Amino acid sequence: MSSHATEHDSHDVGHAPVPPRQRGILMRPGWVRAFLHAGLVFGLITAFVTGIRSATGLGPVWELDVLLTAWTVVVPLGFLNGMGLFSYWIYWVSGKPTLPDDHSGHGADSWKDYFKVNTDHKVIGVQYLITVFFFFVVGGLMAMFMRAELAEPGSQYIDSNAFNGFTSVHATLMIFLFVVPVFAGLGNYVIPLMLGATDMAFPRLNALSFWMLPIGGLIIVASFLLPGGAFSAGWTNYAPLATQQPDSNLMFQMGVQWAGASSIATALNFLVTIITMRAPGMTFWRMPLLVWANFTTSLLVVLATPFIAGSQFLLMFDRVLHTNFFEVAGGGYVVGYQHIFWFYSHPAVYIMLLPGFGIVSEVLSVFSRKPIFGYRLMALSLVAILFLGFSVWAHHMFVAGMAPWLRIPMMITTLLIAVPTGIKVFSWLATLWEGKIHFKTPMLWAVGFISMFVIGGLSGIMLGSVPVDQHASDTYFIVAHIHYVLYGGSVFTIFAGVYYWFPKMTGRMYNETLGKWHFWLTMISFNVTFFVQHYIGLQGMPRRVADYDPVWADWNMVSSIGSFVLGASTLIFLYNMAVSWRSGEPAPSNPWRALTIEWQVSSPPSKFNFDDIPQVVGGPYEYGVPGARHVVLNGARTTVEEPEPATVGSDTGSEH
Amino acid sequence: MRNKLYIQLLLLSVVIGAITFVIAFLLFDWLPKVASEQGEKIDDIYVFTVVICVVIFAIVAALSIYAVLKFRAKPGDMEDGKPIHGHTGIEIVWTLIPTILVTAIGIWSAIVVVQNDRLPDGHRIVQVEARQFAWGFSYPDAADGLQGMRMGELVVPVNEPLELHMNAPDVIHAFWVPEWRQKQDVVPGITTLYRITPTEVGVFPIVCTELCGLGHSVMRNQVRVLSQEDFDAWLTEKQNAVDNGGGALGETVFANLGCAACHALGAAGATGAVGPDLDSVLAGQRADEVRQSLVDPNAVITQGFSEGIMPSFGDVRADQLEPLIEFIIDSVEGSAS
Repeated sequence: MSSHATEHDSHDVGHAPVPPRQRGILMRPGWVRAFLHAGLVFGLITAFVTGIRSATGLGPVWELDVLLTAWTVVVPLGFLNGMGLFSYWIYWVSGKPTLPDDHSGHGADSWKDYFKVNTDHKVIGVQYLITVFFFFVVGGLMAMFMRAELAEPGSQYIDSNAFNGFTSVHATLMIFLFVVPVFAGLGNYVIPLMLGATDMAFPRLNALSFWMLPIGGLIIVASFLLPGGAFSAGWTNYAPLATQQPDSNLMFQMGVQWAGASSIATALNFLVTIITMRAPGMTFWRMPLLVWANFTTSLLVVLATPFIAGSQFLLMFDRVLHTNFFEVAGGGYVVGYQHIFWFYSHPAVYIMLLPGFGIVSEVLSVFSRKPIFGYRLMALSLVAILFLGFSVWAHHMFVAGMAPWLRIPMMITTLLIAVPTGIKVFSWLATLWEGKIHFKTPMLWAVGFISMFVIGGLSGIMLGSVPVDQHASDTYFIVAHIHYVLYGGSVFTIFAGVYYWFPKMTGRMYNETLGKWHFWLTMISFNVTFFVQHYIGLQGMPRRVADYDPVWADWNMVSSIGSFVLGASTLIFLYNMAVSWRSGEPAPSNPWRALTIEWQVSSPPSKFNFDDIPQVVGGPYEYGVPGARHVVLNGARTTVEEPEPATVGSDTGSEH
Repeated sequence: MRNKLYIQLLLLSVVIGAITFVIAFLLFDWLPKVASEQGEKIDDIYVFTVVICVVIFAIVAALSIYAVLKFRAKPGDMEDGKPIHGHTGIEIVWTLIPTILVTAIGIWSAIVVVQNDRLPDGHRIVQVEARQFAWGFSYPDAADGLQGMRMGELVVPVNEPLELHMNAPDVIHAFWVPEWRQKQDVVPGITTLYRITPTEVGVFPIVCTELCGLGHSVMRNQVRVLSQEDFDAWLTEKQNAVDNGGGALGETVFANLGCAACHALGAAGATGAVGPDLDSVLAGQRADEVRQSLVDPNAVITQGFSEGIMPSFGDVRADQLEPLIEFIIDSVEGSAS
């Protein structure tokens, strides 16, 4: 019992690893055993459900909604067990001696290692990024189908069932399988390095969090294979339309559970890592703003995500167990669903934005060669958004038929949340002021983000006013607004972050020319696609329609053409990433001359990140301050007192 | 030096503000023309918020464009920028001013919400029923025979306060007339209210804005706002049709229920093409087959059309449903012969 090695003392103990028992391929954790276990569990649960149903005479033996619920719960569990994700915990709980960690699950030596269970935060970060960009492309293709159909009025390529399916799955993938988890991926890679930690606090939980994510994504995409097509009640999945739909709607309800569980587990991991694993000297007021952002985001995730899980479970109960939470005939309350749903889904907007705010703060400071303006207020405004973010959910329901009095306080809080957001925007602009701005690709995306996000924020203020919202809600104005916030906002920050840390993650430089082409094409086509949607929305075009009044034909054609260019610009990005990863120029350890800790180690960092425990001695953004340092590495502590150039690491490549 | 900077910034803000102002107010009519009292108040707030947005946008855009042009590092310049860590005064300013602006928007909006929630006494009530994928309207204040009659079109008098009492039997829909500005979801299990005072005579679209299923994008209708005399004449005409009964009533019911929006029927002058052409698909059908198609439309689906689009009309009163069936059969037979 006492022989189990905890995750950290094993780093230091120079034990002779016990040679692991050689087991056959069917018994060894991995893909073969995963499919074996998944298949076994599939057979067992199917036999169990149909057996019980036929023995008790409970209606038809083969009831798809019951089976789908059972399958989507236990088959993934079988798969995860087969991959070996539970092995350590099962050994520990059952009193068997656990294998001392020989770190065979750390680091990646070939591309194949990315397809195995790995407990290294850097490998998991890359696994996340590859997975979510896969779903980004899938969701983007669905948007292309929709814009093709909407280019002209009438029905050309897809019928309204397929259209509503694409609308719903597009939004679901982009939110739950791209924007929310992409920050878990970037954070996974960067946060422990920024804190001076060797890994996340719970590496095994971290691996489990990652592997739950593609399961959620596959369940959601698999809904296309079911009778009646994919779920098509929108990503909001409002009752009672959701309950009226074919059984594929369950795939949304259950897929979200897996993505949500992944999200909660990662957030807990971030919280514990940030609270307990900061390097000596790394006080809260010395943390980079990305760490602050991840900290507040993780609190939002942990507190809010259970509510969407609950809302979807209640929907599932209504369908499968015939409860009546939202069924009017049984005394249910339809608007109640929306309250539970938005209690998560509004904070989710900040879950998708705050980490991006953090990325932009890093990038702007480094490429302006200036400290972040008003660092403490920047951190505190994140905390303000965290609190206010929980008090504004009903602004999605101004016309939903909720208690009328609730509109006024929710409107006031909604408008007030513009204040901390405004503080951030103004502080970013002040950071540029009197700087020495270098327009590398990450910087282009960061500045582009500010301009696009301001437009999205201003249309948000308009929508925050109840009377204006009464006209604009549920129209294309909303479609424009959310894309300015989540594409011009979140996705631009994601691109900034991916380009910024690409050299660190891969050890190679991306192609700067292609990066700039990507930015400018996206910037222009994004605005062509979405700006005109403000207009057709205010004019009267509702959202989520496969067909529309021909008076809006011209503007829809403009929007569709813009969207195809936008889709094509993403191909440049994918090409740049793929080719640069294989054969880009080798990256120095610190191509951007940044001060934060992740840039003070090699690109990519060694297996355990640091040879020695880093010592944090100052703030993270002290550009231009003579002699200031953020961190001292490799026992160089004795030299702290001596005045040194502010920049650490190699200067090469900064004008590359 | 300082003054020059401020003047440059101010000029840039004014230029950007002017361009944005032209786009936001002069170049396009962003909103359709307003046709209700409540809408006029909403438009005032819209203009107020857009003006504030234009000013903020101009300042932010001017600052960023200026910074981007002015503070670019020269090639080969590896120096750091000026280490400015913050400025408490300016941080207080950009916390306070936005707070004041959004509070102003909030207070004015709250006043308009309260005003628009109120209607003078003696307003007319219209019952609205939204169902997949059609709108139905009835007039509880009308004379006897007309009270429970479901109409497929909303007809209201101008300048008279109206309260729509809205219900949905199936899923959530939303009632929106863009020219009236107001929008309200129609929710199963509760009655939602929509208060409006139309100020313009004309025909305006009614749009369902809440995703309600396969036919959501075709769930459109229209409202006819008439002068008081025309409205009274319209009511009398409907009343006469009810009093006469029989096939003539059937024709009125056919028009009231909005069948012509989707179906073609020669005798009624209907040319809708969303659903099957009744003259051909109903040829030779008996009354109970036609009744089944009305009450349980998914029981038999004509080839080339989808299940689940046509709503059930099972709840139409029998003294209107039977004349409707009679009218349809007569019409189809008439066109066959």
